[in-house]
Amino acid sequence: MTHLTPDDLVDALDGALAQSRQTHLDACQPCRQQLAELRAVLGETASVVVPEPSPMFWEHLSVRVRAAIDAEPAVASGWTSWFRWPVLAPIAGLALVVMALMVAVPRQGAVVPDVEVNEQDTADISFAIVADLVGDIDWDTAMSAGLMVGPGAADQAMLELTAAEQQELTRLLTAELTRAKS
Amino acid sequence: MTNGSAVRNAWAPAVATGWAVTVVRPSEPAAASPIDFTGMDDAALVAASVDGQREAFDVIVERHRRTVYQVCYRFVSNHEDASDLSQESFVRAWRGLENFRGQAALSTWLYRIAVNVCLNRVSAKAPATDPIESTDHFEDTRIEGAQALLLRQERAATVRKAIASLPKKQRATLILRTYHDMSHQQIADILGSSVGATKANFFHALANLKKLLGNQP
Repeated sequence: MTHLTPDDLVDALDGALAQSRQTHLDACQPCRQQLAELRAVLGETASVVVPEPSPMFWEHLSVRVRAAIDAEPAVASGWTSWFRWPVLAPIAGLALVVMALMVAVPRQGAVVPDVEVNEQDTADISFAIVADLVGDIDWDTAMSAGLMVGPGAADQAMLELTAAEQQELTRLLTAELTRAKS
Repeated sequence: MTNGSAVRNAWAPAVATGWAVTVVRPSEPAAASPIDFTGMDDAALVAASVDGQREAFDVIVERHRRTVYQVCYRFVSNHEDASDLSQESFVRAWRGLENFRGQAALSTWLYRIAVNVCLNRVSAKAPATDPIESTDHFEDTRIEGAQALLLRQERAATVRKAIASLPKKQRATLILRTYHDMSHQQIADILGSSVGATKANFFHALANLKKLLGNQP
């Protein structure tokens, strides 16, 4: 029968050697010698104690830990916790995609005229209409009517979407991009 | 605190005749009831710490600082480095407390952190060990002869030095198995290895120690 393997010897040290291997150990002088040497080293190693530090050390250690934790930068909480690159980077990327779509994709239902028109004249007329409509509206009225978009409002809207809504938005944007390319 | 009548007199010229000045003393803020964290179990202390109660984490430190220090000392064999590593272990525990799910005991989790801190920080070469004079301060020399004590201290220093020269995984396995009575499975969990690898490391650690100590008196 083969000699004890390192695994067997560790089991023997733990008192958990399998019966078949124990039978070999009982009959094998080299294996018993090896086990005795390992047991002696283990015994000597185990007898070495950690020197007890000064009784004042323990409180000193607690004070040091407390001071080190106090020196840790505060964990961002609430809305400030959004200002981290892992959060901002994908949102910024998504915002760019949305902006690109707004510029590149024609509005659904927009009628393309069959006849040529003078674009300059059309623009002038459109501007005149818009100017006529909003000319008398002051800033506060526009704000209260919800006509103004504050800085970061699009980002904030994105943040308020649930995971499912974000997934749906991604699907819609992808479909829109595919449609625009075709 | 300002006397009520003094306040009333001070205001009297400023109010119209016939008006009564009533001094309303703001009620004293209720003293915050101190919470006795020392009686809480580890799970409650973790929850309180995550909730922002620093005193709860102080109790965690107080409760586990000795074992964490001993793990660290076993790795580096000197008090200064063991103190630094213990501090770093607790700071890392504080940072990662929200990730502690409670599947293992808090002590096991702290062992894991301390061992990882030690493995990351301890270089492969043997660290400087405490001089023999600074160890075992509280031995009773009346019981044991001074010469025998000195020999025992020298031998202990030799063993510590031999342990410190072991490869890191072997050293970690030997320390956790021999001094902290951990099972091979627990050690495997802490070191991220298999039970077989842990047993092999333990065997080779003892075999290497046998060689190192066998050549020295």
